[in-house]
Amino acid sequence: MDDIKIQVRGLTKRFDDLLVLDNLSFDVRRGEFLSIVGPTGCGKTTLLNILSDWWAPTSGEILIDGQAMDPKVQNLAFVFQESSAFPWLTVEQNIQFGMKEKKFPPDLIAQRTREVMALLGLEEARNKYCHQISASMEQRVVIGRSFALHPDLLLMDEPYAQLDIKFRFHLEDAILQLSRATGSTLLFVTHNIEEAVYLSERCVILSNKPTGIKAIRTIDLPYPRDICSPEFVSIKDEITEMIKWW
Amino acid sequence: MKHTSSHGSFQEPWWWKLLPVASVALFLAVWHGAALCNPAMLPTPVETIRSLFDMLFFPTTQITLLDHVWASLRRVLIAYGLATLSGVLLGVLFGWSRNFHDFVYPIFELLRPIPPIAWIPLIIMWLGIGEGAKIAICFIGSFIPVVVNTFFGFTTLDRTYLKAAQVLGARQKDLLLEVVLPGIFPNILAGMKVALSAGWLCVIAAEMIAAREGLGYLIVRSMESGNMLNILVALIFIGSISAILSFLFSKLEKVVCPW
Amino acid sequence: MKTLRSRKKSAWWKHVTGVLVFLLIWELSVRLGLFSSQQLSPPSQVIETFFAKLTDPRPDGETLGVHFLASFSVTLGGFSLACLIGIPLGLLMGYYRPVYLLVNPIFELLRPIPPIAWIPIVTLLLGIGAEARIFIIFLSAIVPAVINSYTGIQRTPQTYIHVGQSLGMSRWRIFTRICIPYALPTLFTGVRLSLSTAWAALVAAEMMASVQGLGYMIQMGRLLIKPDIIITGMLTIGCSGALMSLLLTLLENRLTKWGR
Repeated sequence: MDDIKIQVRGLTKRFDDLLVLDNLSFDVRRGEFLSIVGPTGCGKTTLLNILSDWWAPTSGEILIDGQAMDPKVQNLAFVFQESSAFPWLTVEQNIQFGMKEKKFPPDLIAQRTREVMALLGLEEARNKYCHQISASMEQRVVIGRSFALHPDLLLMDEPYAQLDIKFRFHLEDAILQLSRATGSTLLFVTHNIEEAVYLSERCVILSNKPTGIKAIRTIDLPYPRDICSPEFVSIKDEITEMIKWW
Repeated sequence: MKHTSSHGSFQEPWWWKLLPVASVALFLAVWHGAALCNPAMLPTPVETIRSLFDMLFFPTTQITLLDHVWASLRRVLIAYGLATLSGVLLGVLFGWSRNFHDFVYPIFELLRPIPPIAWIPLIIMWLGIGEGAKIAICFIGSFIPVVVNTFFGFTTLDRTYLKAAQVLGARQKDLLLEVVLPGIFPNILAGMKVALSAGWLCVIAAEMIAAREGLGYLIVRSMESGNMLNILVALIFIGSISAILSFLFSKLEKVVCPW
Repeated sequence: MKTLRSRKKSAWWKHVTGVLVFLLIWELSVRLGLFSSQQLSPPSQVIETFFAKLTDPRPDGETLGVHFLASFSVTLGGFSLACLIGIPLGLLMGYYRPVYLLVNPIFELLRPIPPIAWIPIVTLLLGIGAEARIFIIFLSAIVPAVINSYTGIQRTPQTYIHVGQSLGMSRWRIFTRICIPYALPTLFTGVRLSLSTAWAALVAAEMMASVQGLGYMIQMGRLLIKPDIIITGMLTIGCSGALMSLLLTLLENRLTKWGR
């Protein structure tokens, strides 16, 4: 099936005797926006580290376009909770960093930089350094750097966890726009159910340790979503219940 | 290749543990080799260690090695004590009183860049070559870092602590004792740490130039008489005591300032 | 406690007044006999001597300029060598653990030895020429250069390395494009410390084993019982050191405008 972009197959992680991840498998379609939620302490961090190619699983594999996940072959991008914008580069240079490392042609780099900066409202700050901009702008820079690659997989780990609430809404909409503009496949990890329901098309719900997949809930509400609508609220409550009772 | 350090995803190859050992062995081997080439100039590691033990446990000179060590330590400790007390006082004055700072700090800034060693000729002219001169030089070396760090503590102190205390109606005296001093305490400790190694350095320097006992005196006498063996023994002691002082201070720091 | 209230620009007149009062006390204490002229020279004398020494090689053998150049060139030599070798070594130690494991033990053995204590052994082995002094300075100055370099690298947040890895960057590229830029401020602190250590070590080396240079000059001042020479020398040493440090800071600000 050409439509499947990412296949997670039997992901298991064991630390000595402790089994943290237990045979996780799920597929992600091309261009899909998938969220991952779970109770606290359910091994989300472990899963994240493996999905972002930081740790190796004990067994299982992650396939992108049918091949093993390999940052040298595919375009991968990760947005972490802590800011990972490089302080020695300007906003513009930060956004270009990934593309330059991947040796994109210069006109493509310039074009993508312009697009991304426009969508995220970063044009005025293009020559500023990180210590001169706010924390939310820094995260926007990281998000911009990630999307500019038009990555095969973009993994986000609670990117707004350290930001003010009012910025979350702006950024959420910006991410939706970017994801549609770039056609990237997005994995969004969060403990904020409302955010997951607002943004994603499907929601993977994890169980407690040893962590497996409790359920995958499809959210087929039309965009833009209304967080006050009864359908929204019912889905949100449903997912919250699933997490609570474990 | 995943090269993170957490959770044993990257295992260090076993033979890495041997590298430090190999390194020290190589160092000793080179030393030994150089000594064999120049037997007159350079004693071997074994000869050095044997000499060290002899000097420690079977002294043949009137003033033993331990006497020298104690002479040096004694001077440092006296100077260090004086320097810490007066240094904290001056640092606090600089931080507490804007007027005092504005009038007096430029003088301090003028004298600060002069290395303590450069004070030696002047101090010797004033105080001769007795204990006072050496303590004075150590004092200068230790005094400066304490003042600098204490004052720096003031500039980086979080103002919100002060505002909170003032809102609660604290008087100036209480503000100083209860809020400021504990707040700048880590800086004072940092200054004291630098001051200790600076003091040790200065005492050796002062003794090398004008003294009749002490490790610095020992090493310079050995230089004049071409006694490489004594130089190396003195060097080992100077380095070891320096390391021990740093180590003890770090331990003390953890006890006194666990945050 | 006005220091901790608003940081207004302080009145420069207070600074000037303070210094002038200090100079006045200094001048009067000699003139009124508190200190003999053999022990302390008044500022007026020091200024006179300073200008005289710019052209007059007496009484210590060289003009101030020659002494300064001798000191400065030796310092520059030892310091540059220390940075050229120490910085790359420290950077590699910070990033490649085998390098650290190999080099660190030797380093820890040599680090606690105060720079001045190297003088006897180096003098016996290399004499009292400029090379010997450069070597002493090198031994003293390399320590902060190495330590700050590897500390800077070791502090690189894991997140940054993760970013590099996710982009498929090789280990070497992560080292050069991420870790080293990150370490630059810490590295510069090390360089500044290295320079001040070098300068202090130079003074010590010259006081003990040299025939020219500012350290030698102040030793001569003592032997000839001329406190004005000593004080002139001390102030020259102090001001030069401060100036060099300032230049380094300016360079740092230019290279790391992204100041954290």
